[in-house]
Amino acid sequence: MDNDLIPLLQLCDSNFPSGAFSHSFGLETYIQEQVIVDKESFKTAISTFVDKQLVFSDGLACRLSYEILESSRGMNELLEIDRLLYVSSLAKETREGNRRIGERMAKLCMELYSSTTLGEYLHFIKNKQGYGHSALVFAFVAHHLQIDKEKILSAYLFASVSSLIQNAVRGVPLGQTDGQKLLVEMQVKIHEAKNRIMKLTKDDLGAVSPGLEIAQMRHERLPVRLFMS
Amino acid sequence: MSYTGVLDLFASKKNEKTIISSCYYEGALKIARPIYLEEDSPSIYLIHVGGGYVNGDSYFTQIQVDDNAHLLVTTQSSTKVYKTPTEPVRQQTKIKLGFGSILEYIPDPLIAYEDARFIQETEVEIERDSCFFYSDIITPGWAKDGSFFKYEWIRSKLKIYRDGQLVLFDHLFLEPDPQMNGIMQMEGYTHIGTFILIHEQVNKKFLDMLYSHLIETFPNVHLGLSALPDQGGILRLLANHSGIIEAIIAEAQTYSRRVLLNKESILWRKY
Repeated sequence: MDNDLIPLLQLCDSNFPSGAFSHSFGLETYIQEQVIVDKESFKTAISTFVDKQLVFSDGLACRLSYEILESSRGMNELLEIDRLLYVSSLAKETREGNRRIGERMAKLCMELYSSTTLGEYLHFIKNKQGYGHSALVFAFVAHHLQIDKEKILSAYLFASVSSLIQNAVRGVPLGQTDGQKLLVEMQVKIHEAKNRIMKLTKDDLGAVSPGLEIAQMRHERLPVRLFMS
Repeated sequence: MSYTGVLDLFASKKNEKTIISSCYYEGALKIARPIYLEEDSPSIYLIHVGGGYVNGDSYFTQIQVDDNAHLLVTTQSSTKVYKTPTEPVRQQTKIKLGFGSILEYIPDPLIAYEDARFIQETEVEIERDSCFFYSDIITPGWAKDGSFFKYEWIRSKLKIYRDGQLVLFDHLFLEPDPQMNGIMQMEGYTHIGTFILIHEQVNKKFLDMLYSHLIETFPNVHLGLSALPDQGGILRLLANHSGIIEAIIAEAQTYSRRVLLNKESILWRKY
């Protein structure tokens, strides 16, 4: 029996109540400014999102956290990554959104796949010595369940992409079939992104895309919003 | 290691006036004599003695502002990075602000030419009641064929610490690729500007006022403004030439000086 499969499916399920459902991470700004108007324009956007945001921040952070857990280097280094993700997110809504999602996932996963290290992380979050980020939670759960590093990385990238596509289906809007087609088309991209993340170093962590960041900042001032970021 | 240029400045307060109490420089970096555009606070112009940064150059600058001192730092002209065939250019800056001190660090734009690789690492230590204004403008130099984005890459890292804790990490890694001009990256623009302001009184209300002021003064500019986790804000903008970015940052600086520091605008005459 493949012991990895079912927990991974559960973590990546778009019904998994992480709160990601409420966040567009700047994409809504592009929708309102009519830069993203259909499947093709959304595909260009989400491709860059994967290549930049997910590779250099979320994905790399997940890999580095997993490696820290593997080498038992301890909570301090994990908290350093946690803080770096928080302070490198320069748009307030996105920073707070990631924090909320991270905290919620940490609590939920503590109920589902509890481990000492995740418990410690949650404790630091509760004491405001940590912030919370989904990248770390995925690493904790995967390491605890002995899921292979590259597998969890692909799963994490898939979960992020899938959730953004679901939000685009509601926000752009796109057809449900188009959304699913896009998810298929993104498979190669996710695979490439995972391979690139494996080659990066800690020095690369947190590199941002200037345009995306501005879109995330401008989201705060949109008059009508479907999403919290 | 030996640097291409080193600069070490210490500003402190003496009888209601900030003075440069010590200054050391060697190699390609130096400063002009401090100019008192305001009675109590000097402006320092950083000078690069050569024509620009070339292959393998390394620079180290340290600026310390003592308790309650107020220093303004700019450059005499833009920083030019030329091609770096074997080694990137590295510029390290360390800044330390004492209690109640103010530093306005507003250098001219960085211009990266064809085949340039540039690493900029800036570390700033602030206190809870210190005030820090910082700007950074990154522009691509013209290539022979008239196109932009011929530099290889630029990596810029700004880290701000308060009480030993990292409170801001701004990491820009610009590597021209087919996505560079597009959505989320440069959005069809060529120049990036950043203005960071940290002060006890920077809150949502202040940032909303600053935003309205900037948008009224410069409609149709592609800018974003957001609050930092704790008593600060960041303005990021994209445009197609340095002039507009410099004007917006100068406006943001002037507005912040007026509201937060109760001071008038500063006019840096350059040649």
